[in-house]
Amino acid sequence: MSEGKISAASGPVAAAPVHRDPLALIVRFQSLIGLVLVAIGGIIFSPRRHGAILFLDPDNIANIVRAVSETGIIAIGMTFVIITAGIDLSVGAVLGLSSVVTATMMISGGFGLIPTILAVLIMGIVFGTIQGAISSRFRLEPFIVTLAGLQAARGLALVVSGNQYINISYGDGLGLAPPVFAVLGERLFHNTVPVATIVFIVFAAIATIVLNTTRFGRYVFAVGGNERAARISGVPVSMVKISVYAITGFAAALAGIVHAGQFNFGSANDGMGYELTAIAAVVIGGTSLFGGAGSMVGTVAGTIMLGALANILQLNNITPAMQLLATAAIIVLAAVLQSLVRRREGLGR
Amino acid sequence: MKTMKRGSRRVLHAALLAGAGLCIAGTAQAADPLVKACSKDGQFIIGFSQANNAEPYRQHVNDELTAAAKEVPGFTLQIADGAGNVNTQTSQVDNFITQKVDLLLISPFEAAPLTPAVKRAMDAGIPVIELDRKTVGDPGKDYTAFIGGDNYKIALEAGKYTAKTLLPDGGEAAVLEGLPSSTPAVERLNGFKDGVKVNAKIQVVAEQAADWVPDKAQTAFSAMLQAHPDIKVLYASNDMMAAGALLAAKGAGKEVKIIGTDGLPGPAGGIEAVAKGDWAATFTYPTGAKEAIEMSKKILLDCASSVDTTVTVDTTAITPENAKQLSGK
Repeated sequence: MSEGKISAASGPVAAAPVHRDPLALIVRFQSLIGLVLVAIGGIIFSPRRHGAILFLDPDNIANIVRAVSETGIIAIGMTFVIITAGIDLSVGAVLGLSSVVTATMMISGGFGLIPTILAVLIMGIVFGTIQGAISSRFRLEPFIVTLAGLQAARGLALVVSGNQYINISYGDGLGLAPPVFAVLGERLFHNTVPVATIVFIVFAAIATIVLNTTRFGRYVFAVGGNERAARISGVPVSMVKISVYAITGFAAALAGIVHAGQFNFGSANDGMGYELTAIAAVVIGGTSLFGGAGSMVGTVAGTIMLGALANILQLNNITPAMQLLATAAIIVLAAVLQSLVRRREGLGR
Repeated sequence: MKTMKRGSRRVLHAALLAGAGLCIAGTAQAADPLVKACSKDGQFIIGFSQANNAEPYRQHVNDELTAAAKEVPGFTLQIADGAGNVNTQTSQVDNFITQKVDLLLISPFEAAPLTPAVKRAMDAGIPVIELDRKTVGDPGKDYTAFIGGDNYKIALEAGKYTAKTLLPDGGEAAVLEGLPSSTPAVERLNGFKDGVKVNAKIQVVAEQAADWVPDKAQTAFSAMLQAHPDIKVLYASNDMMAAGALLAAKGAGKEVKIIGTDGLPGPAGGIEAVAKGDWAATFTYPTGAKEAIEMSKKILLDCASSVDTTVTVDTTAITPENAKQLSGK
């Protein structure tokens, strides 16, 4: 699977690779195809009001992209990790921890906006770096290390919050957060585009550029594709591995800040299960859990697709059970498609 | 869409004024109805944003609401499950607003996070009745009304019952808390501890969180009984944890008076457990479902211009005296 050149605005543009296999082409764009299919389904099955299609209502589109922004931010970080054939289970818990630390620093710590945001982002990076370093130094499975990290982050969040949830109220003075922080829960451009979504898309654009155009991005693919070969050809493997966990830690912290700003709230329990939603979005987006192949644009499309699916099911008053079953089917389908392609390309896994 | 909404609100206000002008009501000063499109024989969609269907108590609320809404021919009830996630629940409320439901019922998973979504619904002209849990602000202003029990008061009653009836001569008591740092868990814990204070001879020797679930409750209470073999009363912050605690007490071969909270009906519920003599008591946490549908009728069918902004539904103490008769219901 060759890397396509990406222009953030227009999605992937194949760099004219010779695709011998139409199936490979489908897999390459599977989440975009899936997103289009879900959108078509959404339009067909959308309830109508005065003849207008509710699913396409600008307000409804805004609801969809707002709702997926937190898991989307996490999924972007997760894409780097999964391309290196790793996994990070701690992200949901780090989101909770970050929301608690954000709220605590501003409300009881009296810290300003910028110091708080910087501190939380650095905390996320450090948390991820520690996990990456332990995993790399002691040759431990990232699954195990980040599973421990999940417990540690939840525990720390409870310690920091003193087992209480922390409400964020805005204003000037001690015990109040700067009102500008609340912008994360608002919409810009005549109240149309959710700020949380803007954060998600900007982060996605930067991540896409890093993954597809920088040397670091090439290293990430190299480490996931064949670690030994990468090591022999001079790729700093441990550095790359530690870096991708630092990136997911950063992403989880960023999502935690967005969460606190959107919901005026810090709680140790928040973000539970987000890691699994993010992994689902990454897999649906065409990134292989075996590493070495993946697409950032695919992840974004996968994330939005899951959100659109949930939305159209609710608009039609279909039970959450169906949503879970539909998501399960989509994940299996995405994985089966990938494995077919790998087998054809003789990768044998 | 603020401009749109503002525009449509302006139209609404104008229409309301015009409607009020045309209103031929018996009173001299007919106030505007809360919902302009109200009518005796209209068809209305009520959206219910539930916090988390996974909790048996909330399933019980859904059942009661569904039954109460079925009684009203013009009502269609849509239930969305927030799955214990403030982000999911917020998006579901937003979807209801997009659908322009006629009335929103909500049990917010947490107060502050759902406040902006409730405000958006109110701004869109949708009346909001909050069930069981409140968002930030005042009923009648930031949302239409609140209907529910009072966690603190219910636990306070349980504490007083312990102090006066179960342990009048004093002794050791323990508490199983819900999910730490969640609002109801904190309120019930504090309520019970304040309630037993009326009897100075009672000591609360252990508190452990068991996240509302029976398996964690069994583990936690087993450990408590190891550490404090003289525990006489256990207050469980919900029925599920009381069920788990009972298993722990049986396993340890101890006679412990167990108090539940919620008073769920059905063969696996708390009322039955008290009737069988397994628990000492449980304190119902009323769903407010009937009251919520009644209020919806007032707003949508009777064109009420105002409703009671706070309806506190009282708890019923389920004790050996009344459990048998209630479980037969």
